Amino acid sequence: MNHPTPSSRLVYGAHCAHLRHKGMYVTSLEAADAAVADSYHATSYWCTCTQKALGPDGQPVAADRCHPGSGRACCAG
Amino acid sequence: MADDMGQVPEVQAPATASGSKYAWPAERRVLGTEVRRVDGPAKARGAAKYTYDINRPGLLHGLILRSPHAHARVRSIDLSAAAAAPGVRATLVIAEPGAKVMYQGDEVAALAATSEDTARDALRAIKVDYEVLPHLATVEQAMRPEAPVVFEGGNTRTSDVQEEGDLEAGFAAATHVVEGLYSTQVQTHVCLETHGCVCEWDGDRLTAWVSTQAVHGTREGFAQSLGIPQSNVRVICEYMGGGFGSKFGPDAQGLACARLAKAANAPVKLMLDRKDEHLAGGNRPSAYARIRAGAAADGALTAFDAQTWGTGGAGQGAGFPLPYIYVFPNRRVVHTDVYTNAGPQRAMRAPGHPQGCFITEVLMDEIADRVRMDPVAFRLKNLPAEAPNAMWRRYFEMAAAQFGWSRRHATGDVTPGPIKRGFGCAANRWGGGGRGTRAQCEILPDGSVVMRSGTQDLGVGTKTLMAIITAETLGLPVDAVRVELGDSNYPFSGGSGGSTTAPSVSPAIRVTASKALEALAARIAPGLGVAPESIVARDGRVRSTASPSTSLTWREACQRLGTEPVSVDGEWEAGLSASGTSGVQMAEVEVDIETGITRVTRVLCVQDCGLIVNRMAAESQCLGGIIGGIGFALFEHRLLDPNTAQMVNPNMEWYLVPGLSDIPDIQVTLVDQPGRGVIGIGEPPAISTAAAVANAVANAIGARVRSLPITPDRVLAALRTDRAGGTE
Repeated sequence: MNHPTPSSRLVYGAHCAHLRHKGMYVTSLEAADAAVADSYHATSYWCTCTQKALGPDGQPVAADRCHPGSGRACCAG
Repeated sequence: MADDMGQVPEVQAPATASGSKYAWPAERRVLGTEVRRVDGPAKARGAAKYTYDINRPGLLHGLILRSPHAHARVRSIDLSAAAAAPGVRATLVIAEPGAKVMYQGDEVAALAATSEDTARDALRAIKVDYEVLPHLATVEQAMRPEAPVVFEGGNTRTSDVQEEGDLEAGFAAATHVVEGLYSTQVQTHVCLETHGCVCEWDGDRLTAWVSTQAVHGTREGFAQSLGIPQSNVRVICEYMGGGFGSKFGPDAQGLACARLAKAANAPVKLMLDRKDEHLAGGNRPSAYARIRAGAAADGALTAFDAQTWGTGGAGQGAGFPLPYIYVFPNRRVVHTDVYTNAGPQRAMRAPGHPQGCFITEVLMDEIADRVRMDPVAFRLKNLPAEAPNAMWRRYFEMAAAQFGWSRRHATGDVTPGPIKRGFGCAANRWGGGGRGTRAQCEILPDGSVVMRSGTQDLGVGTKTLMAIITAETLGLPVDAVRVELGDSNYPFSGGSGGSTTAPSVSPAIRVTASKALEALAARIAPGLGVAPESIVARDGRVRSTASPSTSLTWREACQRLGTEPVSVDGEWEAGLSASGTSGVQMAEVEVDIETGITRVTRVLCVQDCGLIVNRMAAESQCLGGIIGGIGFALFEHRLLDPNTAQMVNPNMEWYLVPGLSDIPDIQVTLVDQPGRGVIGIGEPPAISTAAAVANAVANAIGARVRSLPITPDRVLAALRTDRAGGTE
């Protein structure tokens, strides 16, 4: 079966393409919903290179740590 | 709508998409009733196959070698002896020489062998030379100025100041000021079914049976990590034993399993054991708050000043909403994430909310005591004047009436004897709106019906929900519908998180079943000599509203399809579901002031979830949330040795969860709001139980335990240091 997928919430933009968090996989009614979008920074992140919360360089992954300007060699734009 | 339902002005419920021809029926036959789970018998018989039950021909067993150290560098790793051991078919290095491990349980290597025992023996043959590095076991250790810098960029990270109003003016206006330090512990998810998967390759195509909350998301995760097309990956999860937010991708064990299976050219099963689960399967971060808060003589809150911190383990955040729900017009919060050498946090059933709720609600009771107001009246006075879809005012009043709140005594039970009783209360809020699910419905010529979607059932009753809505729409009994889910080959559905599953899936099923009925009508109407629009299905029959004499049994109608079934796709439509729940809980406890043991005797829950699809399942969600909340309140605590940062209770013997004898009398009142459509309820009932229990304990003993879990030693300590009169 080939079923179309709704517009992806996988937002690369300014962040590493390997960065993931739960909100990328949950089709919430409102992306800005504070209760779901973790506006108080409770988000847990992981890296698709390792499928862990630590990247290939052994350091933690997070939105503010995984972007082209972070200086991490593992970061993919 | 607010007026129709007698709600308070703070209600701003959205209008239903009344214009949709797929709107929920005004007269509901099955929806909202109590329906037993359609897969209950299969689960009871053991016929339901969970990931752990998948045994493929030639299956190998995978295991992961984990770091015994909280922080170390791998100098060297030698798998040669393990690889040469009898029965070992594949080995894998995860932490290469030079890499660091950041917590006990961090993955180092993996292997697959012909049996679990063989694999375990071989795992012991792996030689790893570690350079043990300084570690941080606690937030106190990590926050010390002289602490070693373990994490690049520092062991702590402080957020911007969140400030509103004029804090100085707020405290100037306060007649009463309360100061305190409040905290909650690290709690692990304790999914009954541990994380894990079975991976099998067919050439370059991977089939993975995974215990996951996101079938399609896990497909994407495998493809991304393995560098293969998503179309080459199939993920299956028909039955699942809970995730609570911790199972959103392949995880390290999934990736290792797939690689081992590829290397061995054989299917591999790799399931975590209970220790692995505690160490590396995720957890709810701890939360600490040092608060100074003020209230005017009339009980109006005036000021809130908080420094907060917590640990999400190795490099992950630990934020939480604060203050929670109630309005402090002048407030300031500064939060610091503290990184420790412990397993990283993951989303856990209402991330941040149970912590924020506990801290705020306990503070609220303390201020209410100072102001000498009843806690419910004090809360009513300080609720937001207006909040989207929040009905706390009405729910507090409903709960108080049902619970018998008027029988609450002042803080400190003055009755004689060691057993003290008390009441407590707390409120919650959540979003719970979902979208995006697609589905496929087949009506077959023999009358059978299949509803299919790529969502997953975490054990909460999604399969039954799909059957109910299909049955309601097609006028059939629930057991006449076959539901298929949990397969990435089925139509897309998002991950189950944020209480979004029911509001995402329900509209899709309603729309798809309706379209299937339309297609059936279009096929059979010409033969009946009626217009397709006149065809309705009800009570197992298909009728024409234009011709009362035209009536067929469902099977007779389907037989007119000949050899070509009806097969239609449908998708979620706006207006059939919504976001925004609110709820209130009240708890009654008995505390033995000689032993410090607390027993929760009664919990009452008032909760809304829009249109109730299955009353039994919705109530079950509340029961589960409350029981989990009792675990958070009284028992569950990930304990790390401060000297080694190793978990001292990585099991279910010393990591305590509520047992049957700990479960109180629980009364659930669901507020049915069909006009709002379906709203998720997975998270909100779990938020406020611990706070209500803590407030009940204080009401019982006249002393306040400001840290969770409320263990006997903490109760006795509070009595020694903070005892109010009249408890002896």
